[in-house]
Amino acid sequence: MELSEKLVRGEGRFVDDIQMPGMLYLGFARSQYARAKILKISGAQLTHKEVNFEVVEVGEGATTGGPAALSHPVLANGHVGYVGQPVAAVYSDDRYVAEDLIDSVEIEYEPMKAIVDPEDSLKREVMYPGVKSNAIVDRYFGKEFTPDPSDIVIERKIINRRIATNPIEPRGIVAAYDGHKLTVWVSTQSAHSIKGGLSEALKMEPDRIRVVQVDTGGAFGLKGGLFPEYVVACYLAMKERRPVKWIETRREHLLASRPGRGVVANLKLYAKKDGTITGLKGEVIVDNGAFTGGSGEFSPMFIARQLAGAYYLPNAYVRAVSVLTNKAPQGPYRGAGRPEAMYFIERLMDGLADKLKMDPVALRLINAAKETYTSPLGMQVEKSRQFLESAIKELNYEKYRDRENVGFAFLILYHATAGGESARIKVENGRLKVWTGGNAHGQRHDIFIKTLLKEELGVPEDIVDVLKGDTDQLEDGVGAWGSRSSMVLSSAVIVAAGKIKEQIGKKHGKYTLKALLEGKWDEYEFFKYDKTESSLGANLVTVDMDSYGRVIVKECLSYYDIGRILDLDNAKGQNAGGAVQGIGQTLSEELAFDEDGLPLITSISDAGVLSADLVPKFGIKFHKSESPLPSKAKGIGEAPTIGVPIALSRAIEKATGKLIVETPIRPEYLLPEEKA
Amino acid sequence: MVSKKHISITVNGEAKETEVEPRMLLAHFLREVVGLTGTHIGCDTTNCGACTVIMDGKAVKSCTILAVQANGKKVMTIEGLSKGREKLHPVQQSFVDKHGLQCGYCTSGMILTSYWLLKNRKNVTDEEIRAAISGNLCRCTGYDNIVESIKDASKKMEEEGDPIEEHPEIKVRA
Repeated sequence: MELSEKLVRGEGRFVDDIQMPGMLYLGFARSQYARAKILKISGAQLTHKEVNFEVVEVGEGATTGGPAALSHPVLANGHVGYVGQPVAAVYSDDRYVAEDLIDSVEIEYEPMKAIVDPEDSLKREVMYPGVKSNAIVDRYFGKEFTPDPSDIVIERKIINRRIATNPIEPRGIVAAYDGHKLTVWVSTQSAHSIKGGLSEALKMEPDRIRVVQVDTGGAFGLKGGLFPEYVVACYLAMKERRPVKWIETRREHLLASRPGRGVVANLKLYAKKDGTITGLKGEVIVDNGAFTGGSGEFSPMFIARQLAGAYYLPNAYVRAVSVLTNKAPQGPYRGAGRPEAMYFIERLMDGLADKLKMDPVALRLINAAKETYTSPLGMQVEKSRQFLESAIKELNYEKYRDRENVGFAFLILYHATAGGESARIKVENGRLKVWTGGNAHGQRHDIFIKTLLKEELGVPEDIVDVLKGDTDQLEDGVGAWGSRSSMVLSSAVIVAAGKIKEQIGKKHGKYTLKALLEGKWDEYEFFKYDKTESSLGANLVTVDMDSYGRVIVKECLSYYDIGRILDLDNAKGQNAGGAVQGIGQTLSEELAFDEDGLPLITSISDAGVLSADLVPKFGIKFHKSESPLPSKAKGIGEAPTIGVPIALSRAIEKATGKLIVETPIRPEYLLPEEKA
Repeated sequence: MVSKKHISITVNGEAKETEVEPRMLLAHFLREVVGLTGTHIGCDTTNCGACTVIMDGKAVKSCTILAVQANGKKVMTIEGLSKGREKLHPVQQSFVDKHGLQCGYCTSGMILTSYWLLKNRKNVTDEEIRAAISGNLCRCTGYDNIVESIKDASKKMEEEGDPIEEHPEIKVRA
């Protein structure tokens, strides 16, 4: 049965759907304090004394070799660093009893003053003894320069606050052990990342671990990672020789998963009076959280390097910092550094346009890169002027130019193509089975993989089974994030299909479908690719404000270069889904904390995830400049989460006359002033 | 521990009788006692709607209803929509045709809310659809393709009728 048919029948197989005889349900007693010493734990079945492993970073933005003192223990080791941190574990063969057992764990704490604000963290005492600074990353990109004294300067503090990734399916795992091999079924973006991470964390040989990706109900960057709860589930499965299940509750998700964004920028943009930008200086500060294990070591550098946007920026000197705070580790969230970088430079560009009383799009046109170049911050910026000219036309900007409710965004999306991807095609009994290193968690890879195989091998869609990640079926793989699947995964499928075609040609003189389906073929391809590709995009948003200061998004239009379109419905779905997340980031989504580091958000609705009645119908037009990859495709997934917050913030700025430098724009900030 | 209660719930037309703890959620009863895992749990707080089922003619969120509250009632889950028929129900078919799902996790609840809407309204407008599904969150699709699916389903149900006869208590379309 086709995947979509299974899913509409309720016959998907998500991780919580797995039932096994003798299964144990795992639960966690979590810290109620943002920062505290643990004095005593009683009533727990598992604590750090027994389960003394550490989390290993995997997935997008994973780095290795950070300071050892900052590693995330799977269960707290004498102190806690954020509310929701797993302190002790309990289990039972009844999920309700496991819940009860959590309440029976008693933990005595000695609370300490929490470090909540990232900028404050740099001024406070160090979070851990033996650590030199709360800045776990502190690097400079570009080169110091002396601005021309006659230059105009736009100076801003710009903030993207933390957001929970909030896939509708929470995190979850089932682990089983047969005395030699550990088998894991998991909701993930990458079976191979989880395998590698578990092998390292548990110090087990990789060939003793099999990771199977089950149907995955959304991920948005989060589920590329390995989490403390997963390591404990595996440990327990091996200890008890029984299958173990852990399913996250939404409250646990909001407290203790890996939220994205959480970045402050203090930046100065320099320009000549004619609008030509001459340089950028300042700092980006990432709110890392209390431990490594997320992407906080990677993201400040990734953000700093992209700060030229799609413009020609001759000079730049930017400090990239990641600081310790008493929050869960920061992780990748749809865009993972790309939306932050573009938001910062684009807000500065709008500020510059206002200062010069220029049309913001005209200012962008002056500064768009005429030729491809490498910015002083290190990223290759593709020539962007021609694209911008066509975006102005396609989005019909002239019609909107003089309105007081319109915002425009110009963006570059860097695809996570580096590292390549794998695919395996097996033909047997007249059917094709396909495994790929990255797998869908809401992008419907099955559709475009079948399209490609029809093109390459002439096989009808209904004899192709696109299977999920399984490390026993596919020797290596990377994962699905950063728009990589439409580019490198599709290319791996094409190359693997080409290999089969070639073999058949050698054996039978020429390729025929009959020879394919009557034979037995099995080809694996790791499509190697080292370059980071990019694509350009633009958004136009209009708003209305009601008398309470509420924002109604009227129009939200996209114009993106996605190269060859692999699947039009899918591309439209990626645009609309990303656009809702972009609106959410701008208007409502925030993981807010009080001054003691206590989370103020307790439900998915509090967290600001938007419903259908609060968003418009979306529009998209495509620019199709083919990529150099075999699939000729480019990415789209992150483009709307980059462009929509920029254009929407500007539209609100125009409509209200209030300077917008923070997301989300808190409702109280937009309250109309009372008339005297 | 509180003693177990005897309950009988008609699920997709079949009576299910058993003893349950009074605290057992209807969602867990359906998933783990009856074994129908198409009802998904997303938030535990009645916000996301992934657990939506039809109970005595109303779309309800089964994560905040106790199984004992459903005692004596008729419940239809996503599996009930095309039960016993090879062909998909028109609402399910429209979600497939119009790309109304991506990861598929919110889909069961979204389809059942849509079904309830279409049993109660003819010629639905975009605005009515968006209001009706405002209690069902989707993080993937951005809702556009879901709205299109529901409009398409409205047409299909107009043309083909509703193959389900199990729920006479659902208001007949005016």
